[in-house]
Amino acid sequence: MQLNAILPALMPGQEEPSATLPILPYLPELVFGLIAFAIIYWVVQSKVVPNLEKAYAERTEAIQGGIHKAEEAQAQAQAALEQYQAQLTEARAEASRIREDAKAQGAQIIAEMREQAASEAARLTDIAHKQIEAERQQAIVSLRSDVGRMSTDLASRIVGESLHEETRQKGIVERFLAELESGDVVREKVGSKGEDA
Amino acid sequence: MEGNLSLVGYGLATIGPAIAVGLIFAAYINGVARQPESGKLLQPIAILGFALAEALAIFGLVLFFL
Amino acid sequence: MSFNVLASTLGTMAPAEGFPPTPEIFWQPLFSVAGVSITRAMVVAAISVVGIAWWLVATTQRAAVVPSKGQFFTEGVYGFVRNGIAKDMIGSKDFLRFVPLLFSLFIFILVNNLFGIVPFIQMPTMSRIGFPIALVLVVYVVYHGIGIKKHGLAGYFKFLVPGGLPGWIVPFIFVLEFITFFITRPLTLALRLFGNMFAGHMLLVVFIVGGWELFLADSFFLKLAALPAWVLAFAFTLFEGLVQFLQAYVFTLLAASYIGGALADEH
Repeated sequence: MQLNAILPALMPGQEEPSATLPILPYLPELVFGLIAFAIIYWVVQSKVVPNLEKAYAERTEAIQGGIHKAEEAQAQAQAALEQYQAQLTEARAEASRIREDAKAQGAQIIAEMREQAASEAARLTDIAHKQIEAERQQAIVSLRSDVGRMSTDLASRIVGESLHEETRQKGIVERFLAELESGDVVREKVGSKGEDA
Repeated sequence: MEGNLSLVGYGLATIGPAIAVGLIFAAYINGVARQPESGKLLQPIAILGFALAEALAIFGLVLFFL
Repeated sequence: MSFNVLASTLGTMAPAEGFPPTPEIFWQPLFSVAGVSITRAMVVAAISVVGIAWWLVATTQRAAVVPSKGQFFTEGVYGFVRNGIAKDMIGSKDFLRFVPLLFSLFIFILVNNLFGIVPFIQMPTMSRIGFPIALVLVVYVVYHGIGIKKHGLAGYFKFLVPGGLPGWIVPFIFVLEFITFFITRPLTLALRLFGNMFAGHMLLVVFIVGGWELFLADSFFLKLAALPAWVLAFAFTLFEGLVQFLQAYVFTLLAASYIGGALADEH
């Protein structure tokens, strides 16, 4: 291959330059190649890439949105769980409080009952005491009159005549018993043996 | 047989780049075998090296036509 | 059958039936419009443009979050260029600007390359140097343009030389880097694509046409030899497919790396 074969090849209008020299461009092909590539580039630039990038972005967003949604759901579940737990704790606390209350109330009731019982018992005892006292009093009174009468009877029998009127008038028996109760018995010479009275 | 001496010359000239390309990919395979996770990193480098070595063979092709 | 017989047979019929193939086989003007010959490569490129544009628009017009099969496929290719090439080579800061360019380059080159092994079309557009040069021109303008825009004209030339070098070596490095940036890179970028497609197509033609020539030969043994030739042609077709994909990838990768290099803060 000589240079003089190359030189006319570079001239415009030359029909068959690259038939013999394939590394020299055939000018219409070069221009055609540029145009073809320009068309492809225009299509890609204006139609394909924006659409695909949009799809990419949407997909990323969809995935991230899904993740976000899942996170939200998880957070909600967590919140619900916490709420349940809080409610449970509250319920437990309330239950224990109620139990405490009940216990305290029970103790109080027991105490009250005990008190009531005690007071009832006291009252009954009191009543019994009073009754006993009354009966004693009654017994004393009747005893006193009986003793007075009997001793008067006895004395009457000894004396041989009724002393009832006199003793009643003079209240001797009463006086004697009163003295006996007060403890300073004055020996009276009713009989011969009044030493051991 | 007809022929051109430059054909033989070009055939000889491709030996060098051929060996170079072989060496480059041998090194690449070695590297990846030792550290498989480096494959992605090494691949463009290997292709670049291969392209550079191949450029010499292409110069030879041009000179063959001249 | 001795090798001599085969060689002499080949020798006698070589000049006659277009075998062995010469670079002339790539010159195929089909018709002419206003005095300009329209070549087969141009027709193939036009078909590819229509096909690519139709496919891309059809599959991405209603790009949905849940992709259809076509959209999924397009997205796979797009994602490969976007994340596998652009993001890695340019960096995640401003790679998005260049994704349309790189994606266009990749898909245009890939489809045109693959036309080299598609039956009945069988013409890799890029084996006509005009097309690679056109693409490289675009890349060349883009990566120098953004480099100068980023660093300023003087700054861009200063940027060519890495910092921290002793003073006397700077001019040499500058010359080397200048040649690399302004001559070697575009030249190799265009010629690599061209050379691979050209040689690959030539290889296929050799095996297919050679097999045909053997089949037409008088000798029965030569007819028999056509079979392995076609088997090899089939194998090389598969190999060509691989090379064609690889070249589209390499071209895009290098374009991205040049752009990334021009955008880098440090050399």
